[in-house]
Amino acid sequence: MTRERVALGLLALVIVALPFAVSTAYAFNVLNIIGLYAIVTLGLILLGCSGQISLGQAAFYGLGAYASALLSRDLGWTPWITIPLAIVAVGGVAYVVGLPTLRLAEHFFVLATVGFGIIVNVLMVQLLPVTGGGNGLRDIPPLQIAGVRLVTDRQFYYPIWALTFGTLILARNITSHRTGRALRAILSSEVGAAALGIDVPRYKMEVFVLSAAYAALAGALYAHYIRFISPSPFSLLASLFFLIMAAVGGLTNIWGGLFGAALVTVLDQVIRAEVPRVFPRVGGEYQTAIYGVLLVLIMIFFPRGIVRGALDLRRALSGRSPATQAPRADAEPAEEGRA
Amino acid sequence: MLDLLPQLILSGVTIGSIYALVALGFVLIYSVTGILNFAQGEFSMLSALLCATLLSWHLPLGLAALCAVAAVCAIGALTERLAIQPAFGGHPLTLIIITFGVSMAFRGIALMLWGADPYTIPEFTPGPALVVLGGVLVRQAMWAVGLTVAVVAALFVFFVRTVPGAAVRACADNAFASRLVGISPRRMSLLAFTLSAGLAAVAGIVITPITGATYDMGLSLGLKGFVAAVIGGLTSAPAAVVGAYLVGIIEALTTGYLSPGYGTAITFLVLLIVLFLQREGLLHGAQRRQA
Repeated sequence: MTRERVALGLLALVIVALPFAVSTAYAFNVLNIIGLYAIVTLGLILLGCSGQISLGQAAFYGLGAYASALLSRDLGWTPWITIPLAIVAVGGVAYVVGLPTLRLAEHFFVLATVGFGIIVNVLMVQLLPVTGGGNGLRDIPPLQIAGVRLVTDRQFYYPIWALTFGTLILARNITSHRTGRALRAILSSEVGAAALGIDVPRYKMEVFVLSAAYAALAGALYAHYIRFISPSPFSLLASLFFLIMAAVGGLTNIWGGLFGAALVTVLDQVIRAEVPRVFPRVGGEYQTAIYGVLLVLIMIFFPRGIVRGALDLRRALSGRSPATQAPRADAEPAEEGRA
Repeated sequence: MLDLLPQLILSGVTIGSIYALVALGFVLIYSVTGILNFAQGEFSMLSALLCATLLSWHLPLGLAALCAVAAVCAIGALTERLAIQPAFGGHPLTLIIITFGVSMAFRGIALMLWGADPYTIPEFTPGPALVVLGGVLVRQAMWAVGLTVAVVAALFVFFVRTVPGAAVRACADNAFASRLVGISPRRMSLLAFTLSAGLAAVAGIVITPITGATYDMGLSLGLKGFVAAVIGGLTSAPAAVVGAYLVGIIEALTTGYLSPGYGTAITFLVLLIVLFLQREGLLHGAQRRQA
């Protein structure tokens, strides 16, 4: 526990100190995006702690963005009110979606979230009078602190990272206390957890609504930060992108969420800059090829995330630990004989 | 309003045939391995683009189509060996995520190789469109429906009349017991992936003269075929074919009467409703986890 406190302190220090080390608007932009994605990924990892995976996170992210943008732009309310309102509203949507879907067996739940995500994305494109369709929404009011309008990347850095830090602590507290133990029990066996008196449906619902709220918070911040939203960043591809971040960090590892978001975002920037040099006539989502291969490799070789995977590997190489032989949390006991 | 109905149903049946081929692939892989293969639609995309390229090298259509289907079967087998096999026996979610990764990889690679421009294949038998029951039917649509019927019949014969077909069914029924009698679930998994890739490949080539082929056609094709498979309960091939025609007709009706943009949303709404109502799919999943 104390080691984790030290880590949290170090992280806070790094967050506070980073603006003195970087200077360009581009660097701040990347850092801010990492912060936003980290919030979404943390939500996804909380969900992962209960053994669920969602491919609808981008829909919640987008709903948060649209809700806060519309409320603040068309009703003239301050974003400080519309962001919490958006979070509560999206939480409500998640509750309604969760009522029927959370009863589904795990991979059918994933499919239901895929379906939900696609429906939400189609509505964003089609409901022209409300969402502006493919052209999106412009002129979203910025955040204001003490009369100062936050319009530059640098000004947005501290608010975003303060919230990222806050959500990290919240997620850590949830997973390291009673709820976390209940979630871990559910992860290893729902039936077993229920037999121990854990209210499985309630915990699964709570963590699902919370993960949607995380995504909505990030989405609402994004809307007031970029001040222009359109349906394309909230598609199924974005949901997959968040899933990759969570997978890189390890689907049940809170700290991994931060790591995954940072690594994948930086990788994305590098790929966007480098690939056009190799394939000059290609535009669009070519980077998906690299992400696809990356996702497959991680799931095959490091199903518990790169950090833990690397630790396991080091232990295995130094040959001193039977721990590597311990059953993987996510592996089924059934094993195949050789053909 | 009603004048449009025959036309819409005809186009629904056409596209439904294509979905049926993709859905059969889903059912095949799911029954044998318990994996939902989301890369299914990408096999269609790859075969359509491969076929278009071979045609541009002045190969005759039949040969080009055969080569493309064979190549995609090989890609399917390779996918199983390289991406699925190493994680075999892992958590079902791990395997689903892997198939999503494979699908992304194929889409990106296709974009690098073929670019974003649409490609096309000429109709198999060019000629004026036919008028059937008050609706216009392009000749290619007959090919789509006819080929689907032929493929379904061939699959039926394969599964019911041949020993490898019986082995696949045995493995789908009970992997453990079939291992005891000398059937290798791994080899059956390879066979299922190869066959499914072939089914999807045929679908991709047949539909291209009507809709054209682009690098991103696989995602929606795969998801629609998947909805059809779920409507059919995921383990029953005839039910999946019925589901596919249902999805095709629903999509055509929404496009005709509501708005083209809502077609996808309505299809997925149907998926959600089916998922919520269907206890069978859930039950099957639970059994598989215990097995």
